Amino acid sequence: MKQVMQIVYMLFFISLLLQKGFPQTMADEPLSDPFSQAKFVPDIAAIVDVTYVQRSLEDFTHYGIPGFKDADSKTSDHENHEDELNQNNGFNLNYAEISFYSQVDPFFDMFAVLHASTEGAEIEEAYFTTQQLPFGFKIKGGKFLSSIGRLNDKHAHYWDFADLPLVYKAFFGSQLNEIGIQLDWIVPLPFYVLLGAEALRGENETSFGTNGFTVENITTIDDANKSNVYTAFVKSSFDISNFTVLAGASGIYGTSRIDHGIGNDTKVAGDHGFYGKTYMAIGDITIRYDFNSYQYIYLQTEYIYRNQDGDLYSYDGSINSKSNFDAKQSGLYTQVVARLNQLWRIGLRYDLLAQNDVNTHHHLTNNLPRYSSMIEYNPSEFSRFRLQYNYDKSLYSESGTNKPNHEIIVQANITIGAHGAHSF
Amino acid sequence: MKYKNFSKIQLILIHTLVLLHLFLINTTVWAKKPVIVTTYQYIAGITEQITGNSATVIALAPPQFDPHYIVPKPSYIAKLRNANLLIINGAQLEIGWLPQLIRQANNPAIITGTKGFLDLSNFVKKIDVPTALSRAMGDVHPEGNPHFYLDPHTIPVLAKAIYERLCTIVPENYNLYSKNYTTFIEKFNARLTVWDAQMTKVKGKSAIEYHKIYDYLLIRYGIHLAGTIEPVSGIPPASKHIAKLENTIYTVSFILQDVYHPYDAAQYLSQKFSIPVIVLPHDVGATSDANDIFSLFDAIVGRITQ
Repeated sequence: MKQVMQIVYMLFFISLLLQKGFPQTMADEPLSDPFSQAKFVPDIAAIVDVTYVQRSLEDFTHYGIPGFKDADSKTSDHENHEDELNQNNGFNLNYAEISFYSQVDPFFDMFAVLHASTEGAEIEEAYFTTQQLPFGFKIKGGKFLSSIGRLNDKHAHYWDFADLPLVYKAFFGSQLNEIGIQLDWIVPLPFYVLLGAEALRGENETSFGTNGFTVENITTIDDANKSNVYTAFVKSSFDISNFTVLAGASGIYGTSRIDHGIGNDTKVAGDHGFYGKTYMAIGDITIRYDFNSYQYIYLQTEYIYRNQDGDLYSYDGSINSKSNFDAKQSGLYTQVVARLNQLWRIGLRYDLLAQNDVNTHHHLTNNLPRYSSMIEYNPSEFSRFRLQYNYDKSLYSESGTNKPNHEIIVQANITIGAHGAHSF
Repeated sequence: MKYKNFSKIQLILIHTLVLLHLFLINTTVWAKKPVIVTTYQYIAGITEQITGNSATVIALAPPQFDPHYIVPKPSYIAKLRNANLLIINGAQLEIGWLPQLIRQANNPAIITGTKGFLDLSNFVKKIDVPTALSRAMGDVHPEGNPHFYLDPHTIPVLAKAIYERLCTIVPENYNLYSKNYTTFIEKFNARLTVWDAQMTKVKGKSAIEYHKIYDYLLIRYGIHLAGTIEPVSGIPPASKHIAKLENTIYTVSFILQDVYHPYDAAQYLSQKFSIPVIVLPHDVGATSDANDIFSLFDAIVGRITQ
């Protein structure tokens, strides 16, 4: 066997010697490169986000928001496989985002964003949109941030604060980012009216979920085998001199399959699961005033309501039980952001989870606020440094005591490459 | 009550269809008068000279704002959605605000590369085309300086491009456009000789400007550019840079200030060295005396030669 291999190697080296040396070039003619596709490179950008965080609650991941997020270390592991921002005290590499955009052909364009961390990379968005549909229609297909609400389809580097409003964390974990299809229509009116609808897979584990689970001795809930979540939205805007008003209303309907441990073989007392219908409504309004090219102030507020109705399965340590579950929850945020000049911006944000009516948990608090402020230095459009302070009163320990959390975030957000302009 | 024969869902469907139908009829009614959207006011100013009242001409950018940083208001999407022709300055002047608006407008007629999309920069030879590119040099324009329209001699070139495109988009108005175009060019050329004569007064003088916006005008009339108030394009000045400018300022006859950048640096230099600050309109409507394409240059020439 060894001898055969030696012969093969020898033949290989001999064949190398038989090569004719350098290929003959046409030195007099201009260099021809007829198959180069270098000019078709799409717009590529990389955005890096680094923060330094100091917070008073060191084990804050073990805290929950009553009625919204369970307070224990276990659930936070499997609930958020999309890594959360600013998790560690000290330095965080929140993400390195790599985006690609290009025209596909005369009919479509395509956009893709890879969200990379030190752990690995995942596809944040990858979708195509149509460009040739008549009558003001457009179809988007792939994985994308849903266009519901005001902030949902905005990437992290475009947020006005280093973190998302509480309502987004409470209802979506982060944002409603799904695989599916979207149809939107710009209504032919003298002012802006957009109507849109989406059919989505519905993998969002905070409000929906596609994975079924088995509740021993009671039932087996199947996996979702079709699109699980449907949305519809309308947005409208008008200007009065330098004032711009943008308002939107969105509705979401979907099936929820939420397994908080009840489907596990090693379940412990308190594990539970939910299977039922979820209805959500979002209202948002932005009012902006531009003093000139470099100074503006705007007020943005968004209200989210969620009703979940279905079956709650609970494990009390010895047996599983089934009960009716009906939760009506809502919250809002209001923020004011001002740009003082080309370099500086400041902002204030008020978060509140205001309604917390859950039929299986009486006396849940209706008042979960958080207060945030930020100041930002922008040396150019491509670099941003932000100092943010949060005073968070929404966190409760497993034993049910409210612990205020003081949080200071120093953030650097840097962009290189070809990154497209942002929408309003 | 005949409605009782329909179910609720059927009724909703019928109403939606009726509404949809009305909207579609509406669009065809509007389409009778072509809608031409331009990014800046000066382009609308030229276009209106050629179309007269035969078209609806809408300019998006408000003239008091920095043309690089226009707020991409959603109301612009509604305007672009109904456009038959979009005319832009190009050379990346609109890169910070327009591409996303075009994508959101869902209007296949004005996509880049179609005949409903006209990029004026293609008809002009640009200056300051960089041979190497790095954002260390600030917000550089890879295609060269995009403010070519502030040299009045480029206006007839741009007018010809607009006229020819209008004739392809609305061929039935060919005669009207030809007549208007010829009249406009005659009138404009007559003004050009007046402006050229007036501008000989400032030939050989030296100027400072905030951003490299008036370069085509300065080159045309032999005015030397001694420096810019911003250190590199798009980056606001720090006191260190202003101090450096002071070394070259003894030769300078005037400081050219646009309407949208802060005036403080220009005023500081002006007071310290008693050099006049001349506020120049950069677009139609930027100052009250620049209300069409003719008076824009009347204002520029008048203010610079006063």
